[in-house]
Amino acid sequence: MSTSVTPSTPSTPSTPGTAVTSPTAPTGPKRRSGTARRFLTSPQALGASLVLAAVVVLVVFAPLFTAHDPNAADLKDAFGAPGGGHLLGFDSSGRDVWSRLLHGGRNTLGGALLAVAVALAVGVPTGLAAGYYGGWFDSVSNWWVNLVMALPAMVVLLATRAVLGTTVWVLMVVLGVLVAPGFYRLVRGTVAAMRGELYVDAARVFGLRDSRIIVRHVLVVVRAPVIIQGALVAGMAIGLQAGLEFLGIGSGDLPTWGAMLNEAFTNIQRAPVFMLWPGLALGLTSAALVLLAASLRDVLEDRGTAPATGRGARRLGADAPTTLDSAGERADLLSVRDLAVTYTLADGSSREVVHGVDLDVRRGEVLGLVGESGSGKTQTAFSVLGLLPEGGRVSRGSILLDGTEVVGSAEKEMRNLRGDTVAYVPQEPMSNLDPAFTIGDHLTEPLRVKLGLSRTQARARALDLLRQVEIPDPERTFRSHPHQISGGMAQRVLIAGAISCDPDLLVADEPTTALDVTVQAEVLGLLRRLQAERGMGVLLVTHNLGVVADLCDRVAVMRQGRIVEVGTTEQILRDPQEDYTRGLLDAVLDDTPAREPWQPREAAQ
Amino acid sequence: MQTKTRVNAGVAATGALVLMLAGCSTGGGDTGSSSLTIGSMTVPQSLDPAEAMGSALPYFQAVYDTLVKREPDGGYTPMLATEWTYDESLTELTLTLRDDVTFDDGTPFDAEAVKANLERFRDGGGGQAQTLALLEEVEAVDGTTAVLHLAQPNPAMLYYLSDAAGLMANPAAFDGDSLTTDPDGTGPYELDKGRTAVGTTWAYTRAEDYWGEDLPYEEIAINLFDNENAIVNGVRTGQINAALLQDVDQQAVAETDPDVATQPQAIDYQGIILFDRDGHITPELAEPGVRQAINHAIDRETMLEQLRDGQGEVTNQIFGTESDAYDPELDTYYDHDPERARELLADAGYPDGFELTLPRMSQIVTDPMATSLQSDLAEIGIDLTWDNLDQGSALNSIFTEQAYPGMVMNNAQLAEDWVTVTELVLPGTFNFFGATDDTIEDLVETIRSAPEGEAADEVRALNRHLVEQGWFVPFYRMTYLHVSDGTVDVEPQSGMAVPSLYNYAPAE
Amino acid sequence: MTSFILRRLGSGLLLLVVISALAYLLLSLPGTDVGRHVLGPAAPQDAVDAHNAGLGLDRPVAVRYLDWLTSALQGDLGRSWFTSEDVSLALANRLPVTFSLMIGVTLVTAVVSFGLGVWAGVRRGAVDRAVQLVSVFGYALPGFLVTLIIVLVFAVRLGWFPAIGYTPFSRSPGGWLATVTLPVLSLSVAGIAGVAQQVRSSVIDVMGRDYVRTLRARGLPTSRVVFRHVLRNAATPGLTVLGMQFVGLLGGAVIVEQIFGLPGIGAMTVQYTTRGDIPVIMGVVMVSVIGVILINLLVDVLVGWLNPKARVA
Repeated sequence: MSTSVTPSTPSTPSTPGTAVTSPTAPTGPKRRSGTARRFLTSPQALGASLVLAAVVVLVVFAPLFTAHDPNAADLKDAFGAPGGGHLLGFDSSGRDVWSRLLHGGRNTLGGALLAVAVALAVGVPTGLAAGYYGGWFDSVSNWWVNLVMALPAMVVLLATRAVLGTTVWVLMVVLGVLVAPGFYRLVRGTVAAMRGELYVDAARVFGLRDSRIIVRHVLVVVRAPVIIQGALVAGMAIGLQAGLEFLGIGSGDLPTWGAMLNEAFTNIQRAPVFMLWPGLALGLTSAALVLLAASLRDVLEDRGTAPATGRGARRLGADAPTTLDSAGERADLLSVRDLAVTYTLADGSSREVVHGVDLDVRRGEVLGLVGESGSGKTQTAFSVLGLLPEGGRVSRGSILLDGTEVVGSAEKEMRNLRGDTVAYVPQEPMSNLDPAFTIGDHLTEPLRVKLGLSRTQARARALDLLRQVEIPDPERTFRSHPHQISGGMAQRVLIAGAISCDPDLLVADEPTTALDVTVQAEVLGLLRRLQAERGMGVLLVTHNLGVVADLCDRVAVMRQGRIVEVGTTEQILRDPQEDYTRGLLDAVLDDTPAREPWQPREAAQ
Repeated sequence: MQTKTRVNAGVAATGALVLMLAGCSTGGGDTGSSSLTIGSMTVPQSLDPAEAMGSALPYFQAVYDTLVKREPDGGYTPMLATEWTYDESLTELTLTLRDDVTFDDGTPFDAEAVKANLERFRDGGGGQAQTLALLEEVEAVDGTTAVLHLAQPNPAMLYYLSDAAGLMANPAAFDGDSLTTDPDGTGPYELDKGRTAVGTTWAYTRAEDYWGEDLPYEEIAINLFDNENAIVNGVRTGQINAALLQDVDQQAVAETDPDVATQPQAIDYQGIILFDRDGHITPELAEPGVRQAINHAIDRETMLEQLRDGQGEVTNQIFGTESDAYDPELDTYYDHDPERARELLADAGYPDGFELTLPRMSQIVTDPMATSLQSDLAEIGIDLTWDNLDQGSALNSIFTEQAYPGMVMNNAQLAEDWVTVTELVLPGTFNFFGATDDTIEDLVETIRSAPEGEAADEVRALNRHLVEQGWFVPFYRMTYLHVSDGTVDVEPQSGMAVPSLYNYAPAE
Repeated sequence: MTSFILRRLGSGLLLLVVISALAYLLLSLPGTDVGRHVLGPAAPQDAVDAHNAGLGLDRPVAVRYLDWLTSALQGDLGRSWFTSEDVSLALANRLPVTFSLMIGVTLVTAVVSFGLGVWAGVRRGAVDRAVQLVSVFGYALPGFLVTLIIVLVFAVRLGWFPAIGYTPFSRSPGGWLATVTLPVLSLSVAGIAGVAQQVRSSVIDVMGRDYVRTLRARGLPTSRVVFRHVLRNAATPGLTVLGMQFVGLLGGAVIVEQIFGLPGIGAMTVQYTTRGDIPVIMGVVMVSVIGVILINLLVDVLVGWLNPKARVA
């Protein structure tokens, strides 16, 4: 399905999350170091890590930071003010507050760690096994998980404590067991989802043992979400300790932050300041844990907090269009001059991925924009739609769409152009339909919003559109949800949606790449027919020169963010001037033996 | 109701939604000061008098009357019984009963009812059944005369008849367990079952045709709480009219609020009861010198200052200030003197100290107390270990398994000496190892058989002997605080933390 | 759909029975001496033994459990060992209190956290960071401290709301609202943080989906895309967390119930479990398990409605 020019999986370039980094085309190991760097350059992640590290160091090396025994008490000192080597004064028993804070942290954090460890030990292996093997083990463990999750936590905590003793450790072990289902579900879900994936199958074929597959492939995938969940559970455990202390379900004689807070509560009138230190320690630590989890998630899912751009990032950018006198004559439908697209990366630096592109599409003309992935052709197409992914913006140039300047225009003006002036046919049919809505909803919504049709009018029009895109049972498809129809059907639906408001320009981004070969031909035929019937201009983004030959009047070849060659389809295919273009042509001929060599008569049609 | 008006006053400023609430909540329908809401942390096991405990008495006083009424100062006055006389041997107590009292269903209150109630209480297996253990038989001489035959004299009999044992229920309701939630007595109020949610709120409305003098409130509600913080907030907003605070910090909160009326009362003392005076568990404790050493080791002044914010008085005796046995000198018999304590230990043959394990219930033995006792005892070489006990199993370990040589307790200091003697000195509940000596036995016999008020010297002598022998290690009498929202006057009840229901009246 | 619900209820019933057995066993393990506890230290041992025998505590655990189960199946949950209250009646009295809190908190949390989450997820940038910070703050503050401050300020100082107690809705809707407002507020502070984070995260995720771009390319207004399409697709994880929080409130409202003196299930759970009042706690266990089963069912049905792909035949 994909040729050697597109080594990456088809979905990667079109998910905007990764688009921020896709211009850098990172590969496996490089990406990992990128993750670490992004993590460290995020101020939130860094701050949270520093706070946690400081707390851990203070707590672990408590004896280095305080000379006092946390349990040494002299009642005469109770409520005493700081001084004489007692940094924070004395508590209501006459114990050193600073020392109790540090040593208490050991028990508090140790307890939280214990809870997380127990939860991991119980939840992760069972989740791995249940997700990987499925079958009866899966059913049995699911049932157990439902059971544990239905247990009233408070009753279990109190009852176990009555049996096993009044220490914080018992409570934390029980808590660990009670939250283990969270890890179980996380791991099981991830593993079950990837069980059928190609590389796991491949590993099986290569005869790797299950345990090795689990360790090598599966654990790597679940690692990140498990770490995040772990941080959250640790925060929760710390909070719960304090809550239980408050209810008089104490940690026995062990100093903990929870016990200190509770002591503060019982002396809230006499010494309100008691609340401060354990409250601060507890609050800072759990805040740091949550923030850490949040940043970790953001980094792993490649969403920097888009520094300084905010909402503007998703608009076409506030930069004014730059008009060039030397630009020459501009086409009436779409005219792009000196277009540059720049991404702001998570660390705040910028990277230009399209460097001064010129393009023209006349009314009724089909322009093919070819190039290998990462050449900037999709970025160019999105610029025309005003829909660059987050972090990207047009940093230079001018885009005239039916005479209207797109660069620098407000979202509202842009929105008016979309649908009836410019429309869009995406690459991946399934991911471009909202799974929550029926096909009918997808088609009627723009009709009603853009054209102001009534419900019945929109319905009739939508059914008509479905017929036009040659869908056999329009009524049934109208009622279906996206997951109930095939990929080819979905692409037809998307094309129907794109032409629903009679656009002048159709931007089609690899419209057939994701489809089976037979379906590809049908969809191409459909596009050709619709283009001819309606006289639409088409900007066809593709890496597939066969498609170009089928449809295009003219071709622009893009490489590394620049147009390297423009000409009629015949010129480019018969007599390419650039080595790069020739390379592309050779690749097609080598790799797609199933397809007939290009014949000029096809283009002539 | 006071509550609502006060809540509403502040609402005016807060927008339409809240205004709407205010409008609605005035519809509550309670009027004036004729309703009383008491906040309590004590829960009755049921409303059956056979299961009554003195600590939950107000719940019962609303619906039942006692044979004898105990006045706030601890004196006895007529209630269902108008007169009482002992015979020479002090084993026959003759009660003269009112003849104008009937239960709701028309059953008359008479000597037969007294007989039925007392014997049921004695045999009913309730928590205080043993207070009538000496009652051999009740003889119903005629409708208004009942004679209680006792196995031996019991100077506290009138006290018991004014307490749980004296509550009189309708004998017609004795079958089954209907009394547990459906009380049937002759008291000034009826339980309002519609508004009562057992475990949360007990609501009472005035009984029609009460035989005695009406109490000042049309309605009384006792609301149960599990923490004093909520009670204090309730009093501050006027949602609770009266309550008792034991926690010093909550007391301090109440005292800072000018709208809250407060009244201190020293009721309970806190201290260690040493059960093991014969050395069954901790042999060292058999030596009086060791027990005295412990008494000398405790720094009571500092404990009182830090643990109770100075609210109370240090003491070395278990008898209360209102009792005949009280001797002011004994409050300071043992000064804080670790030096002397070490000498006493050495003289007793333990110069290197010993190990002592005591049970710890965190509600009573707070962190500060636990650590200070540990360090005070450590100073004289006694290594104190606390066994943390779960609330559910604590009483079992201590009293059923008798696993510890002593325990820290809060104990009431009653005006009635003999109750204290029975509970703490005679073999039984808090003296389950049955420790005694000749002096104690002689004094107890004299006190037991002396007519009322004629054994004051002997009880004082007994008190001194117990202190000298170091049977107990009392720390201090704690000051409790009666608080009200200003609409109620509360008269504290001698020796009782929660005042009798008769002691509340609208403030003037 | 009906058969799905019936099947779920059937497996729920099995769950209920198994959990009741486990809970009964667990609660019996500490071997609390109920008689001693009820009668106090002063009672003679034979009275304590008699009391225990009266409660049937002299029989083996299995026999006691089967006894309990038989009566429970006939609708009789027994009486408290410590306060003689009828367990069914006590639950009936206390459930509305806790339920009021649960509903209130869930509504407030849902509205506020979905609002904040969507706002942060769509606007990103400074708004995102501000929302994150606020929700982390809510999460990090110890819950009881927040509650204490809320009582002191809004009830004791300002007198806008009652500081304690509960007025049933049936007696006075306004009074009911007044008594549950502050507890709901206190409980929502922490809950909002968790759900808002979850919603934010999934909004960001959905905003990056291909179909959102395609919908926008159709010329639909961003607000319409966000509220019709993004919200619906992003709601599932938020709903799941909300459902879990709802269940957690059954026992998790303890601190707030204590501070506000609310006679709810949470406060009951702690008191009665500590005492070892098995009949009452078994009632609580039953109620909460049934609650969990129903809520999970409700969440699944809701998620199925929102997300046709997850629908079960």
